[in-house]
This record gives sequence, structure tokens and C-alpha cells, in this order.
Amino acid sequence: MSGADHLPGSPLHNEVTHFLYVEAKLLDNSRYSDWFSLFTEDVRYWMPVRTTRFLAAGKGFDEDMALIDDNYISLKTRAKRLESDSAWAESPPSRTRHFITNVMVKDGAAGEIAVSSCFMVTRTRSDRDYQFFTGVREDSLRCIEGGLRIARRKILIDQTVITNTNLSILF
Amino acid sequence: MFRTIKPSAASADRARLSGGETLEQLVRAEEGLVSRRIFTDPEIYRIEQEKIFERAWFFIGHESEIPNPGDLVTRPCGVDPVVLVRDDEGVIRVFLNSCRHRGMRVCRTDKDNARFLRCPYHGWAYRTDGSLVSVPAESHYGPGELEKEKLGLIPVAQLGIYHGLIFATWNEHAPPLKEWLGDMAWYLDIIVNRTGGIEIVGTPQIWDVDCSWKFAVDNFTDNVHVFSAHQSLVQLGMLPNDPDFACHGNMITTGNGHILHFVKGAPGEAAFLYLGLPKEMWPLFDKNLKPAQKEIAAAHGISAGTVWPNFHWLQLVTSGEMNGHPHAYLNFRLELPLGPTRTRMYSWLAIDKAASAEYRKISYETYVRTFGPGGIFDQDDMENWEDCTIANVGPAAKRHTLHHTMGVNRKTDPNWPGPGRAYSDSYGEMTQRAWYAEWRRMMTAADGAGK
Repeated sequence: MSGADHLPGSPLHNEVTHFLYVEAKLLDNSRYSDWFSLFTEDVRYWMPVRTTRFLAAGKGFDEDMALIDDNYISLKTRAKRLESDSAWAESPPSRTRHFITNVMVKDGAAGEIAVSSCFMVTRTRSDRDYQFFTGVREDSLRCIEGGLRIARRKILIDQTVITNTNLSILF
Repeated sequence: MFRTIKPSAASADRARLSGGETLEQLVRAEEGLVSRRIFTDPEIYRIEQEKIFERAWFFIGHESEIPNPGDLVTRPCGVDPVVLVRDDEGVIRVFLNSCRHRGMRVCRTDKDNARFLRCPYHGWAYRTDGSLVSVPAESHYGPGELEKEKLGLIPVAQLGIYHGLIFATWNEHAPPLKEWLGDMAWYLDIIVNRTGGIEIVGTPQIWDVDCSWKFAVDNFTDNVHVFSAHQSLVQLGMLPNDPDFACHGNMITTGNGHILHFVKGAPGEAAFLYLGLPKEMWPLFDKNLKPAQKEIAAAHGISAGTVWPNFHWLQLVTSGEMNGHPHAYLNFRLELPLGPTRTRMYSWLAIDKAASAEYRKISYETYVRTFGPGGIFDQDDMENWEDCTIANVGPAAKRHTLHHTMGVNRKTDPNWPGPGRAYSDSYGEMTQRAWYAEWRRMMTAADGAGK
């Protein structure tokens, strides 16, 4: 998909960037239901398994296996779980910080907006040291009733071995 | 049948640990009292390297992961890195992933297809059968300085395949795989051969947890933790709001430390029959299983088992989301200890070869949503294993035991149709006790056969 670019400073780039910042702030403030309301009912929220491969074999993402592969209901389940008082992996909660950079905005298919953004997420939990999660998110955004919604998010994590205990946080 | 090998002086059996205690004193498995020290002590971890990880059989992978000649994946065998490869003739082989020259890894990707395994360091190249074929600058070796025929990749001592599951050991004195599995093979038939065979989906999920590998193992056949550890899913309506819901089954020990359970669902719940597989696959159970095996499969939904020490299956029936329908999946697991308090987890999804595309999709989705590092069941387990580890590294904690006494006086169930010792009521800690008893036996056994 190679639609027209919307450069930094353009109205759409500004709107998308602001949307991603707001989304990140919701996650860092543990407002999971509000965060979930940003997704469309046909969403696929997805983090494929990555493998170490030689360059000629591609980037090593396995389309047949994922670390996370949610639809609307299972993503809602994940968000609601984090708001319960018994999701022990996040209760008491970790402190996360979502740093979103390198935002690139293009026209996507069917009137959607194709956005890629880099993330660095830090997690510190209990008395433990920082954990880092980095990668790229490929989003399809849709304009619904005047607001942006996420219709597809493919999270391309940089690690082939997740060295950070679990993926109990959101990206 | 087994040759006896002499124990090294440093690891004589029944050696006293620093502080003067013995492993027998620390692991009173029959009483359900296991010292906290065995989970975190670097001294005990070092003994495990020799007594367990050089001696036991280990799961390496499944035949379906390397279907074609030249296909390879990199894995651990015990704690050593290996290459699992199908050679040019189609023979499955497992080699130490290390060049004979300077020891560099010859395979540095997770998977590949290759005609030769070429070490990048000096260029030594091996065929997929492990033989050394070319050495750059070979003419600079004088006569007799390089015996290529003796310098193939280092193979495992024994390799065994059971229904496509590939196991290997570094121990030439270990009993053959079939004997090592013993009665566990009868139960593995139910799990992997009920419909004529399974295959692995994609590549394994791999992740690291700051925990003792033994806490992860301990958890695997533990039914009692489900209601508390996964309480969030009870609150979301994904698990029954009944603290006893996973007690309707049998715990089984088959000898050699192998352990498992079968759990029934609520009476009349069709999703918990035939291990949760779709009805159209039920006739295949009759074709592939003995009557007693089929009887067990037909009556149960859930099964977890541990092939001692660190290979597990989980046959689960669950929903992957709120208000969803329960679906089945088959998960394989392996722990690779990276240190006394750090463990690398491997997790695979297996699917019956005879399964429909529809079942494959829902089984995959249910697995990914519930298990592995992103799974909403599994991630809470990892939190528990880490906290169990953190709390037990200090000297005060190590003077105390943990508590595994549930069912310590329970009698075996004479009506169970399968081999091994079966205990009705799948709430009980007999599986963990059997695992720790075998751990103690192997840790203190003098010879390589574990005698």
C-alpha cells in the first residue's frame, strides 16, 4: 500500500500523532476501558512471533504463530482483566511509559489511514529494574463519527526471545 | 543392561552440601516437604548440570518442524545448544551447535534450510549428516595434522522418536527412550496419536522468566492453583466460579518421575469429552487407540503431563474470551534453565493432522489468547514463579521447606483403566511429590543410568 504521504506538520499527520499520544497516555494512566474504546469492532490486534533469520529469509516474522492475536472481544477481555483486582501479573500494576516516535502517515486502502510508528515501552514492576520493549506498530486507522479509531494494529516486536517475563502490558 | 560409570570425585553420590546437609535431607518428597534451598541455591544448580542435564532425555522438537532435507532448527538439549536437522537422506539428527575447531555456533538462526552447516569463523563446513567436508587452508596442515573424518559435529549420545516427538540425551548409558518413557508412552499415545498424529503450528514462542526452572515444572500438573492464580478469569466468567471445579479427575504417576492428570468438565458438558476435539474426529479415537486409552480420552476434557524432567503437554478446553465458547488446544512446553533463578520457556501449539481448517483456526486463537507470554492465563503463572523465586534466595528462607502434602495419605484408585498409580480427585500434590522424588534419585545416583 503506497498511498500519498502526509508529512509532519500537515493537518492529518498532526491529528494522527496527537491521537497516538492520547492513546499512549491512556495506557500509562491505566485507563484500559477508555483505551479499548479507540478500537473498531472488526479490529485485529496482533503481535506475530519473530525468529532470527538470515537477511535473505526476510525479517523473521511468523505469520502462523503469534504472541498476541486478539479480535474485538478478546481485546476487550484483556482490557477488562487489567481493571480487575486479580490479574496478578499486573496487580499491583506495573508502571509503564509508552514512547511513540517516527510517526509516518499515508493514505491507506478503503479510505483508511496507514500509520507506522516506533515504540519504546518501559515497564518497571514492584522493586525490579526497568524492562524495555521496542518495535514498530503498523496501524490502520479509520475516521468514525469525526474521531479516529484503530481498525488493525500489527505490532512488530524487535525481540525473538521475549526476555521480559511476559507480555501482560498493552502496546 | 547398563554399564556403570564411575562418579567423579567432586560429585560423589550422597555428597554433603555446604552446611553439611544432604539432598536426601532437603527433599523429603514422600512427606511432601521439599526444602526451599533446592530452587535457588547455585551449588545445587551446579550439581543439576551434571546429574540431570547431562543424563536425562530431553524433548528437542517434532518431526513436522523439519519436514524436508536440509531443514533445521536450533534448540537446547538439556542446557547445551543443538541443531535439529533432517539430513540429505531424510535422517533426523541432533548435533551440538558448535564447530569442532574453535567451538563457534555453526547455526546462528532459529530455523533454516541448508545443504551445509558452515562455521563463519574459519569456514569449516559440515554436511547435514554432521561430517566435516571442507576446511579452508587445508593444504597448510601437515600430514596427520587434520583428521577430518574424526572431526564431524558432536552428535547427541542417543536420539529417539516417539510418534514424531524427537527426544535426545547426552548420556550414552541412559536407558533407550522407550524404556525411559515406560508407562508414560501409553499416555503419550492418547495425547499425540489419538487421531493418527499431530503437527506443530509455526515456530515456538520463547521467553525468559526470572524464576527457578523447578517452579515452572511444579506448576504444570497443579490443578489446585487454577481458581486462585487465574481468579481474574473466574471474575470474567471464563472459568467456573467454583473452587472445586478442576477436582473431577485423576492424578497419575507412571514411574521414572513422569506425571500427568486427566480432568473432567461439568457432567454432561460435551466440550469436555474426547479431550475437547470436535465430534467429527471422535471415530478416529477408536481407530488409533486401545479401548482403555479411548475410554480415558472420551471421558475427559483436560490433561497435563510432564515427561521427566522438563517436557510438558497441556491439553486444555477453555474459552479465549469473555462469554465465548470453550475450544480445545494442545500445547507443548519446555524449560531451559539459564541459571538458578532464570529460565527460558519454549511453548508450541500442536494440532491433530486430521483437524479441519475451522478447528485449526479456533484452536490457534484460543491458545494464543490464553497461553504463552501474552496469554491471559499464563502471564499470571509467571508472576507467581518469579515471586516464589525472589522470596526464596535468602538464607532464612532456605532453612524452611515448602508444603506439598495434599493427598499424601491417599490410596490409589483401583478402577482407573490405565497403567501407573492413579489417584482419584485431581486436587492433590502426588504428581509434584513423584517429580521431586525422581529429582532426588537422579541427583544422588552414582552412575549414568541413574542407578
